[in-house]
Amino acid sequence: MATKVTIVMPGERVTAVEDVAKGKRVILGPGLRRVDDKVVASKAGPLRHKEPNTFWVDSYQRRYVPARGDLVIGIIRARAGDLYRVDIGAADTASISYLAFEAATKKNRPDLNPGDLLYARVLNANADIEPELVCVNSNGKRGKLGMLQDGFFFKCSLNLGRLLLRENCPALTALTDELPFEIAVGVNGRIWVKAHSMRETVGLSNAIMALEQAGYTEIDQICSNLGDVLQA
Amino acid sequence: MKFMQRTKAKVAKEADDEQSRALYSNELSGMVLNGNSNYIIEPSYSICEGLIEGRLSFRGMNPELERLLELEQAEKAGNARPEQPKEVTDKEMAESYYANNAPTVSRTMSKKFSTKNEFNKRKSSEGPKWKKKAQFKKPRQDDDNVQV
Repeated sequence: MATKVTIVMPGERVTAVEDVAKGKRVILGPGLRRVDDKVVASKAGPLRHKEPNTFWVDSYQRRYVPARGDLVIGIIRARAGDLYRVDIGAADTASISYLAFEAATKKNRPDLNPGDLLYARVLNANADIEPELVCVNSNGKRGKLGMLQDGFFFKCSLNLGRLLLRENCPALTALTDELPFEIAVGVNGRIWVKAHSMRETVGLSNAIMALEQAGYTEIDQICSNLGDVLQA
Repeated sequence: MKFMQRTKAKVAKEADDEQSRALYSNELSGMVLNGNSNYIIEPSYSICEGLIEGRLSFRGMNPELERLLELEQAEKAGNARPEQPKEVTDKEMAESYYANNAPTVSRTMSKKFSTKNEFNKRKSSEGPKWKKKAQFKKPRQDDDNVQV
């Protein structure tokens, strides 16, 4: 499957998926939708397949569509009663309750101000209501979620975010060889990086943005040059 | 009458169902009604692609975070957590458990089901209920004499 890439266009019928669906259950990811017993693409891009039965369209986009369980980076926009409004790059701002933080109580509110960065999980995503975020897991522990302090924040395409988050991503390994750093990648196309010095941080962000146009194939070659980008 | 009420409720429910079916019949296609579809819709890229969690730290930039990542990795590597070696064997545990008279709960329950006769028997075997209270005893005169 990896050798031959099919490009689908919105409205196009995807028979490859239908054939598989005759035998077993099939998971339709973003960009594919079911119309009666046909499968139709709703986004343009290469059709991706993951064994055994997952299909999705890897379209290029910068607008985030919230989905339940996603890990995103948001910017606090305002404080509204017992909620914070958070910009996560979606059509609507998301909300996060001040109780959705570790060890937060009604008396002990988290100290967040407009402009602060949050790494949070999407709890609730529905087309009709605003998305809801949380900064704790089901045990009430913070884990890796929470506020991101210092560092440098930039936006990119959703694809770049996903590219970095693939398992065994060569880019992160290549960057690790160059310098120690800390990173938070949201699937909403927002990245936050932090290194020891300002110079290193900026170099790091440049190196990551250089990957913006990379496909699955040329990524290895670009990664080998990342060191040069960092120096520049 | 109870049975009349029940029948009335049943008839009312049927009429209600009929009405709602008529209301939505033009909206529901046959596919939805039969329901048994081979397609599952998953709107999240992270789940479809199996993306990792994007909060990472490398080479000691954030030790707290790296410890978390390490734990996660260890859990992933050996799916089940390595079983901790037992400090006390099962046998020793059972012995000390019963030696300490731990199962008092089971005794309270068995007491509930025992006959009066058994109850009395056990009470007598446990020894006299009213033990003589220990108290100061005046030393005898001749004890003193011996010491002197």
